[in-house]
Amino acid sequence: MRRVRKTLAVLLFAIVGVYAAAQVHETDKPIRTGPKADAVQYLYPEQVTVTAGKSAPVALHFRVKQGLHINSHAPKDEFLIPTVLSIPESSGVRLDSAEYPTGTEFALPVEPGTKLIVYTGEFAIQARLVAQPGDHMVEAKLRYQACDASACLPPKTITVPIDVVAK
Amino acid sequence: MKRNTLVTGAVLLILATFSWAGWANWEYRKQAAEKRLANVSQAELVEVGDAQTALGPLIGRPAPQFSLEDLSGRRVSLADYKGKAVLINFWATWCGPCKVETPWLVDLRNQYAGKGFEILGVSTDDIDRGDAKAFGQEKQEISEFVQRMHMPYPVLIDGDSLSKPYGGLDAMPTSFFVDRSGKIVAATTGITSKDDIEVNIQKALKSSSLVPVGDFNPRSQNQDVDTQIATDFDREKS
Repeated sequence: MRRVRKTLAVLLFAIVGVYAAAQVHETDKPIRTGPKADAVQYLYPEQVTVTAGKSAPVALHFRVKQGLHINSHAPKDEFLIPTVLSIPESSGVRLDSAEYPTGTEFALPVEPGTKLIVYTGEFAIQARLVAQPGDHMVEAKLRYQACDASACLPPKTITVPIDVVAK
Repeated sequence: MKRNTLVTGAVLLILATFSWAGWANWEYRKQAAEKRLANVSQAELVEVGDAQTALGPLIGRPAPQFSLEDLSGRRVSLADYKGKAVLINFWATWCGPCKVETPWLVDLRNQYAGKGFEILGVSTDDIDRGDAKAFGQEKQEISEFVQRMHMPYPVLIDGDSLSKPYGGLDAMPTSFFVDRSGKIVAATTGITSKDDIEVNIQKALKSSSLVPVGDFNPRSQNQDVDTQIATDFDREKS
């Protein structure tokens, strides 16, 4: 009986000890803030499987940083830089078409009468891809130009990595 | 019987410990995720603020000298404007707030030109001198913007080449108000108001000696807070 009690006690101490150690380890991990992030982040999908040689729909999801907006694909002003998705020609995957969201109206506080058409928060581009047979690590590109309510950041192009498996 | 009770109790205790550990771990992860999100949000909001903060050390110092081409290919230097108050306005064709601000600048330039004030508009649009065709197109785009906005002051190109001496130029519009002695008396990033710009122009016109170093407001970084300027400004407006 005593042996059972001892075994149970040791077992309990071991469990609690391992858990406590795990907690300390977790707490010691620094919160990763990393370098200054891009104004737009690609969310998903990381991988898609499509039928080789046929135009396949793929919805690409992005997020614009809080407090910022980017021009839509069809901004009202000709001088503004539109958001554009592209795929390098040599990737084995062709961008057949891309349907962009309409965007929402936005006005600068100093000029509420002038409406811009922008993307904020999460948005998705409905792309159609045509892929050659095989596994392709595609590095698509998204070009955009971001602003907040009073200033603008320079235009930027980010990489949109997608593993396209074409069967 | 007693032994069975003891074993059942121990098993229940172990299960309770695991449940607690699981719950505690989930809570911890939730809090960590919230903390991370809060940090990211803060970083997002200060991104343009960072650009403004970078201007602070330049205030009270001589404006970094430069010589850039205007749209006709003529070299224009800041030194050419010695003795004048100058607003160096960094802008870009793709910058919506710059488009809103430009008519204000045109008005103010015309209003204060007779008092020894000039604006140097410095475009930060990308230019590719290695490709003659692209360079021509880029200049044409800038030129179209200048014509459409009726900008009467010199517009220089290749502003990005000044990003290092002028605090990074991470966001547009960015303006430096330089007094007659060539010192920066105020700097702003982002659009504020026509009145704010006018106050800074008046400050540049009146100030001609080294301004004392003090606190600065990140949005509109002004030193030498001269209450007389505000009084004069109100008087002139009325």
